[in-house]
Amino acid sequence: MRRARRVLCKVVCCALLPGLAFGGATVAGNASPPRLPISPRPRPSSPPLPVAPSAPEASRFLAQATFGPTDADISHLQAVGYQVWLGEQFNAAPTRRMDYRNWVENTLHEEFTTDDMLEAWWLGALGGPDPADPSVIRRDQLRQRVAFALSEIFVVSTRTTLIDQFPNGQAYYYDVLVNDAFANYRQLLEDVTLSPAMGVYLNMLSNQRADSTKNIHPDENYAREVNQLFSVGLVLLNQDGTAQLVNGQPVPTYTQDTVKAFAHVFTGWNWSDCVPANHNDFSDCAVDWSTGANMQQPMAAFAAYHDNGTRAPDDLSNKQLLSYAGAANGGLLVDGGTPQNDLKFALDNIFNHPNVGPFIGRQLIQRLVTSNPSPAYVRRIAAVFNNNGLGVRGDLKSVVAAILLDDEARNGAGKYPDTFGKLREPLLRLSHIWRAMGAQHRCGNDTVRQSGSSSYTQHYANRPYRYAGWYSVWGTNYLFNQQPLYASSVFNFFRPGFIPPGEMTTKQLYGPEFQITTDSQIAEVTNDVLPRAMWLDIHDTCDSTDDYGDVAIDHQRDLALAGSGQGGPADPADRLVDAYNIRFMGGQMSAYMRTTLINYLNRIDHYWDNNGTQDWRIARIQRALYLIFTSPEYAIQK
Amino acid sequence: MNFDRRKFLGHTARAALGASIYSAFGSLQLVRAAAQANYSFSDYKALVCVFLYGGNDAFNMIVPTDATRYAQYKAVRPTIALAQNALLALNAPGSGAGSPGDGGNYGFHSAMPELQALFNQANSPVGVVANVGTLVRPVTKAQYQGGSVALPPQLFSHADQQAYWQSSPPSNAPSTGWGGRICDLLASANTSSLPMLNSLAGEDAFIRGNTGNNYIMNPDSAATIDAPDSWDDNANNLQAAFDALRASGTQANTLERTYAAQMNHSINTAAQINSAINATGMPAFESFFPNISGGDLDRQLCTVAKLIWAANNNIAGYTGQKRQVFFVSTGGFDTHDNELSVQSGLFALLSKSLAGFYKALNSAGLASTATAFTASDFGRTLSCNEDGTDHGWASHHLVVGGAVKGGKFYGDNLAGSGTAAMPSLALSAGNPNDAGYGQIIPTTSVDQYSATLASWFGLGASDLALLFPNLANFNVGNLGFV
Repeated sequence: MRRARRVLCKVVCCALLPGLAFGGATVAGNASPPRLPISPRPRPSSPPLPVAPSAPEASRFLAQATFGPTDADISHLQAVGYQVWLGEQFNAAPTRRMDYRNWVENTLHEEFTTDDMLEAWWLGALGGPDPADPSVIRRDQLRQRVAFALSEIFVVSTRTTLIDQFPNGQAYYYDVLVNDAFANYRQLLEDVTLSPAMGVYLNMLSNQRADSTKNIHPDENYAREVNQLFSVGLVLLNQDGTAQLVNGQPVPTYTQDTVKAFAHVFTGWNWSDCVPANHNDFSDCAVDWSTGANMQQPMAAFAAYHDNGTRAPDDLSNKQLLSYAGAANGGLLVDGGTPQNDLKFALDNIFNHPNVGPFIGRQLIQRLVTSNPSPAYVRRIAAVFNNNGLGVRGDLKSVVAAILLDDEARNGAGKYPDTFGKLREPLLRLSHIWRAMGAQHRCGNDTVRQSGSSSYTQHYANRPYRYAGWYSVWGTNYLFNQQPLYASSVFNFFRPGFIPPGEMTTKQLYGPEFQITTDSQIAEVTNDVLPRAMWLDIHDTCDSTDDYGDVAIDHQRDLALAGSGQGGPADPADRLVDAYNIRFMGGQMSAYMRTTLINYLNRIDHYWDNNGTQDWRIARIQRALYLIFTSPEYAIQK
Repeated sequence: MNFDRRKFLGHTARAALGASIYSAFGSLQLVRAAAQANYSFSDYKALVCVFLYGGNDAFNMIVPTDATRYAQYKAVRPTIALAQNALLALNAPGSGAGSPGDGGNYGFHSAMPELQALFNQANSPVGVVANVGTLVRPVTKAQYQGGSVALPPQLFSHADQQAYWQSSPPSNAPSTGWGGRICDLLASANTSSLPMLNSLAGEDAFIRGNTGNNYIMNPDSAATIDAPDSWDDNANNLQAAFDALRASGTQANTLERTYAAQMNHSINTAAQINSAINATGMPAFESFFPNISGGDLDRQLCTVAKLIWAANNNIAGYTGQKRQVFFVSTGGFDTHDNELSVQSGLFALLSKSLAGFYKALNSAGLASTATAFTASDFGRTLSCNEDGTDHGWASHHLVVGGAVKGGKFYGDNLAGSGTAAMPSLALSAGNPNDAGYGQIIPTTSVDQYSATLASWFGLGASDLALLFPNLANFNVGNLGFV
């Protein structure tokens, strides 16, 4: 009892430490102050965390919180501890896509394309020097990792042509996720809702009130998905994320009539510069084809096209939104509102539904930590979502900190060795090897390109931090079926409730990432490791005809680990394998795998010098990387 | 092989006793039935699911041509109505069985001349199945609006309705689909070790069975893992280390074992499939698919034709494949906006692909071995938004193959007599088929549609009842189109 109270104090005190403001996110903008059924403060259940984590512990934490542990980050986290590290991350300057775009367009004078957006994504994922000014070091790993997770919940895809055509709209949208990753969920929900990319993707943009003379009605796409995927989900949840059951059956969160009511609310929004009077129809307002400027402005409201329940016979009067205990006005939207006020009511209505904490919290756990969190873990995170300890609902900063500091995140692999963890996404595997092996962009040319009647220069020569190239960055969808902002549908690359066949079906275990791990994709993911680990090195000679260059790793950084003598069993590979075990596998490599690796790598000796052209130790490094990154043990982040 | 599989199934059946998920929907009996089933066939058949992702608006695919109904159609969809004189007339019977059921005349969208020609030819291989959708049992407008009849969960939602179409019996997170379950039941029919079910379109509920008797491949090949020994200067040792790390039984975590199993499945199967696709004597089926360079569906169906040919020509690995199930798909059908221009492209590709598939197999004397059928998330609203349609419910579907009794309309009606009933196209309030907001209530259930196909495929009556537990809620279990 006494101990429990001390732990409670520890959690709250941490939240109040200056510079560690993960209790302090406020509800910004025109979102309403949180309307709370104030629940008890989050009850801690975890033993105190070690002040100085061991190297394996630090590596496991960084696998969950970053795009891959590096030796330097492991050492730093060991030195400062989890709390200080989180504080640093919360305060690190955000790496924004729009800044990258401005550099490409205004400094390099190149056209900013979807490929450049991918370069910007990799800059955020890999961190390190900024190509626009290498003295600026990008360190916001946690923010970028959470933003990536959010991009897999609040899905927008460049498979929609208009979104692909306007990468500045992609940049604006992704920056919403970056900016709001540590903000309030309510703010995030509103910023997503009003972003033109989402408006285009799910058709809220130019959605208008019903018109029976044209037999048209409001589009239900955004109304449905914002409820089903971005907030409350299909069925009523207990706070631990399990479905509430009545007579053994789950209870729908809402009905088709609810979706219809939301669709009528989400009317009257269009491009920020739309002048409806200049067009035959509200839907004829268009993107600014020459500049795309309106792609990077929130949508604007046009009251004449908004269903506020007052225009008979087409408006929907008295819209019944989500109904739940404590819902403002029972979820009933009264007639006569403005588009802005009605939107605020609707988003507040969603935000305050008790499902949001467990629904969003569980998915963030799945994206960062484990596919099968225990109900108690979900409950602890939902409690933080409901109240960050300072009476604020929806504080994502506190939610993220709680997810990562939870006892299950830190010690789950030991407690649930058979089921803990998640399959690493292909993009996160690639970011891992690149970050941990000092990857840089190499080769490439400055090439004059024609664009219509004018010409411009593409700059890829001597750009170590401009992560570009077909084989590296632009082609990941072809290489292994995953590319940022390129999900096949609003249901993301994979769904949180996917259960793979076989043993996991028997045990009823979720494995979202297995949904894209098809027979063909697993071959491609495995094959992709081969050149990454074996061939592409930053010291290689460039092919002068390769205009774009590629990203490659630095094998030489590990020469000292790989051996100190002539190789062979007398100069064994133990040090290399043990270092890689910590760097890549959080110290969780099985004895069987360790022995297998060492026995194989010990065969390599100084005779492997490739006729004197290569240090034999490079061969050990290459093959260790290949075997680790293709192995089933590495594939699961634990 | 069969002995092992049966032993595995028996083990699964026992394991399932403790798992509540299996007790729902009779899945436990299904697992047991699969363990005991003993099918064998002398003939060869292939079932090809063509899934149209997004929810196909078939109310613009099959459109009335007679004056009365066309006027209704034009009135209900003012912004997206097709021109009457562009429709491609279908010569179905005017009344009685095989007719649209409402006395009307219908035509295909103008982008579908290939399927129109096949529909109208003698011994037609193309049939229309009218007004199909997800149902637990028959439902009228009054019953729907009164909430008095059980309905599939989450109507109008993409993921849930895709899952229902593909899984039947219903579940929001189906652990199996009916394609996969058919393969569980028919496992004994194939003496070949290759999986019975091939998806050329990724993972989805349809292909999932209890035994994982399926293989997911690229549209025109199976992806192989490059052998590391081809670049290792000390030959097989690196390959041996790679193999040791993926060996089954060496991982301590269920997710790791699942990954290893998937990797091993991939490696073991890919080589056999690829050599079959490139087998000596393989006909040049590509010539029947004009969009094969860019069209996903053309590439997938061309490969399906090759694998069917392989199974019928004793190609290595395929000897003894008597039943094959294929899953192919194309997307872009979620036509919330810009529907007219989008559909023109989609239907042109669909028509050429399906007709090409039939003609390719026909050229090799295999037309009657394969039945392709369309499926989709849902139909779309009869009413429209400014230039598109929203998520609806019922839709029309196409069945194509030499065994299909084509040139006719099939389906069920509110009286349950087992003949087609094209829905009214009247405005919502006066439309007995309209759920209230432009969504059309199905008169033919997905279970009836699927069970008709499964019955042709050789499933016995008791297994059909296990596969489609709601089938018993309908008077007619077999729609007779194949």
